[in-house]
Amino acid sequence: MGKKEKEFQIKWKTDLPYRYSIGKLAVKYFEELKNKKIMGSKCPKCDKRYMPPRAVCANCFIEMTVEDMIEFSPKGTLVGFTVVNYPFIDPNTGGMRPFPYGYGIFKLDGADTYMMHFVDETDHTKFKIGQRVEAVFKEKTEGDIYDIPYFRLIKEEEE
Amino acid sequence: MDKEVAIVGCTQTKYEADKIDLTISELVFEVVKKLHNDLGITNDDVGCVISGSNDFNDGRTIANMAIQDAVGSVRKSESRVSGDGAFAYVYGAMRILSGEYDTVLVVSHSKCSEGDQFLINNSIFDPYYQRHLGLDQISSAGLMANMYMSKYGVSEEQAAKVVVKNRKNAINNPHAHLQKEVSMDEVLSSPMLAYPLKELDFPPYSDGAVAMLLTNKEKAKRFTNTPVWLKGYASCTDAYYLGHRTMTDLIGLEFAAKEAYKMAKIKDPVRDLDVAEVFEAFSTHELMIYEALDFCDKGEGGKFIDSGETNINGTIPVNPSGGVLSSNVAMANGLIRVAEITSQLMGAAEDHQIPNAKTGLAYGMNGICSQGNCVLIFGGE
Amino acid sequence: MPKHNVAVVGIGQTKFRSKRRDVNIPEMIYEAVKMALDDAQMEPKDVDAILIGNMDHFEGINFSEMWCGIDAAPGYLKPVVKIATGGTTGSSLGICGYYNVASGIYKNILVVGWEKLNEGGATTGIITAFDPVWERPSLAGALGPLALMANIYAARYGITSEQAAKVTVKNRSNAANNPFAHIQMPDITLEDVMNSQMISYPLRLHDCCPQSEGACAVIYANEEETKKITDNPAWFKGVSTAHYYTFGCDDLMFDLPTAAIASKKIYKKLGIKDPVKDLDVAEIYEPTSWSELSWTESLGFCGKGEGGKLLDEGITQMTGELPVNPSGGVLSTNPIGATALVRFAEAAIQVMGRGGKRQIPDVETAMGMGFGGSLWTELAILGKDPKPLR
Ligand SMILES: [Zn+2]
Repeated sequence: MGKKEKEFQIKWKTDLPYRYSIGKLAVKYFEELKNKKIMGSKCPKCDKRYMPPRAVCANCFIEMTVEDMIEFSPKGTLVGFTVVNYPFIDPNTGGMRPFPYGYGIFKLDGADTYMMHFVDETDHTKFKIGQRVEAVFKEKTEGDIYDIPYFRLIKEEEE
Repeated sequence: MDKEVAIVGCTQTKYEADKIDLTISELVFEVVKKLHNDLGITNDDVGCVISGSNDFNDGRTIANMAIQDAVGSVRKSESRVSGDGAFAYVYGAMRILSGEYDTVLVVSHSKCSEGDQFLINNSIFDPYYQRHLGLDQISSAGLMANMYMSKYGVSEEQAAKVVVKNRKNAINNPHAHLQKEVSMDEVLSSPMLAYPLKELDFPPYSDGAVAMLLTNKEKAKRFTNTPVWLKGYASCTDAYYLGHRTMTDLIGLEFAAKEAYKMAKIKDPVRDLDVAEVFEAFSTHELMIYEALDFCDKGEGGKFIDSGETNINGTIPVNPSGGVLSSNVAMANGLIRVAEITSQLMGAAEDHQIPNAKTGLAYGMNGICSQGNCVLIFGGE
Repeated sequence: MPKHNVAVVGIGQTKFRSKRRDVNIPEMIYEAVKMALDDAQMEPKDVDAILIGNMDHFEGINFSEMWCGIDAAPGYLKPVVKIATGGTTGSSLGICGYYNVASGIYKNILVVGWEKLNEGGATTGIITAFDPVWERPSLAGALGPLALMANIYAARYGITSEQAAKVTVKNRSNAANNPFAHIQMPDITLEDVMNSQMISYPLRLHDCCPQSEGACAVIYANEEETKKITDNPAWFKGVSTAHYYTFGCDDLMFDLPTAAIASKKIYKKLGIKDPVKDLDVAEIYEPTSWSELSWTESLGFCGKGEGGKLLDEGITQMTGELPVNPSGGVLSTNPIGATALVRFAEAAIQVMGRGGKRQIPDVETAMGMGFGGSLWTELAILGKDPKPLR
């Protein structure tokens, strides 16, 4: 670093920790994730099936509780994909997120909303919209978000 | 100002140290849904939404994203004032005054339990000259209290009386966070945090949310027989660097109060106002607020609390809800003041009701030691 | 019509660049503020109130308005309020300023958006906009989701990379006419875009907006004040906002449904039947080349899947029937907290006829757009008078 660079800057490196509340439905989600089950919530009024589960149906403006949670299939259908190929600091870890990585948006069977997750493919020509995907669970699940490290593309012959 | 903007209903959560079982969205949904139920309306009756929150406090960039479902703003207009909820109220009132909306939902929330309050407050100081020195809202309050008390000869006992008063009032407010009376001795012997201020001179940190519905003159009676009207408003910002401030007086608040009184045609605030709810960030701050609001002369804040005039049965009760010293919901504090004045003027404050309250003042604040000030005067029917 | 009509009477912008190491945050903001005050021939004391917008976590400053409102703008002993809504910050500011004056509370207001993106981390900051449990672990800032949106859009309507690249060529050629624009590539070719590095399939480097540093300041006034200041103001005809679900995946939002909701609302209010005929110019918020194609459809400039055709027919070119982003748009300049305010400011500049080399002839009506949050849209339509079109 040149002298000018040093003179003209001041650094602030404090990391700002938070402890977020996740809500009762997420507690249940993680309990069941440990059993390798994916749970969403269903609105008791309009039947919309939400992934991830949450307490408010924004359309009906009514509450969903743990009783309104239902299981979704770990399989779904891809509606869009990308391969992230740029560097950035991951606020989850404070370090650089490794790249490239595949990244998809898909709808789980049984859900009405979409979700995004990592996909274990970094060649964009291997993806196809409309293709089937499946959650891959860690062998030893711990009830946290990384129990599903990524989704995998299901090859046509498997179906 | 004539009867142009009405508050027709308010809801508050119970304020608590740690609502760990609720997400911010669930917390906000609780007050919004209750407001709908209280007023017998649905989300379709809400024209637009203004929220008040802060990204540092929520640990989330664009903190209002998290509450879109909970405030019912899907396909609607929502906007977010970053800062104290009193300013969110003002933006909501502007939308009514413009004539473009006839109902506005105003919401503010905070979960102080989720972040590190020292780091969050330290980040208010500029990163070149002040932040690295470790200033926060507690140390700057100590500086302000020391300068104020030594200039005007205000005693630690007089400061402690503010805490005793507000904590006692909080017992009768079911929403209040701390509902335990404290004695003068307890305040004075609590551990020193930043000389001359002790632990009990400062508020707790609280979680909670507050919501209200604003409407215009034509629609107000459709929702309630006791709408509360905006009569006066002014906002005024003091200098940023503490070294640029007159630390012994709240100059920004003084200016804002003068302007708001003029708009509301208030000549003698002690006589013309029936109740005040103010954002007192520490004990002596409330004494300084008395002076800036012209409830008493400069330097007389200590004597004014001695006189008992700001007690719940005094001529100008201040913080009958227990104030911020009892419930400190960071970004929601100003909107809670508005909600409390609203329930006083509606005659709905139950155990902490001031009899026959007709005119009230709410004071909200942004930044450190009353830098950004918002004074609102309300009148009942 | 609001209670009080509102006009833009003064505009200031910094030259946007990737890094402004020569100035600190308040100094940078002051450049734009001073320019706006000079433009409106106003003294600092004449300003009634100030609005400031930026995103807290991008630079790591809490309550930046309490600092910059005093040190970079004439906020001492005046109202200073901060508005922050992500990418839409600039348009939320612009719209809040409108209501400050339309309500009759203030006669005039100074509205300032700023960002000094290279002092913090925008991608990191954007990730923290999303749900800490469900979205943050896999999110890649704004570009990841924008790439997904482009991918879905391309597949649905058979849009090609080449069509998208043409947007970049158009906007960056336009930017060469705008002295404030950040990316200056006057000779950019289709090949330059098509051969640039793949950032997040199908987005290449030149399909994406840059990160810029800079500030934009705009002064609004009511009718009485406006008469005193200028005989060439740009009047607000209307503003419109549409928000959406908290979770970006609750609906397939690749075509920005809020752009359709917000635009239908404002067109109806102003009696706009065919935006291509009724508007003379539009400054839209296109974070990627693909989004301009898709969102011109959602804004009703053409039918679904016809964004590429609209461009190929030259309609959105400088000489077309509805030029889009004569300033060079977001693909050329993106100081996040200021970006959408720049759209409003550029729309006003076009109405005032002060665009210099980027001026579209005879502009009567111009639209500015903001995009941000969980896929929100905000719009303002400005014109030579405050009246609806019909
Ligand atoms: Zn429902």
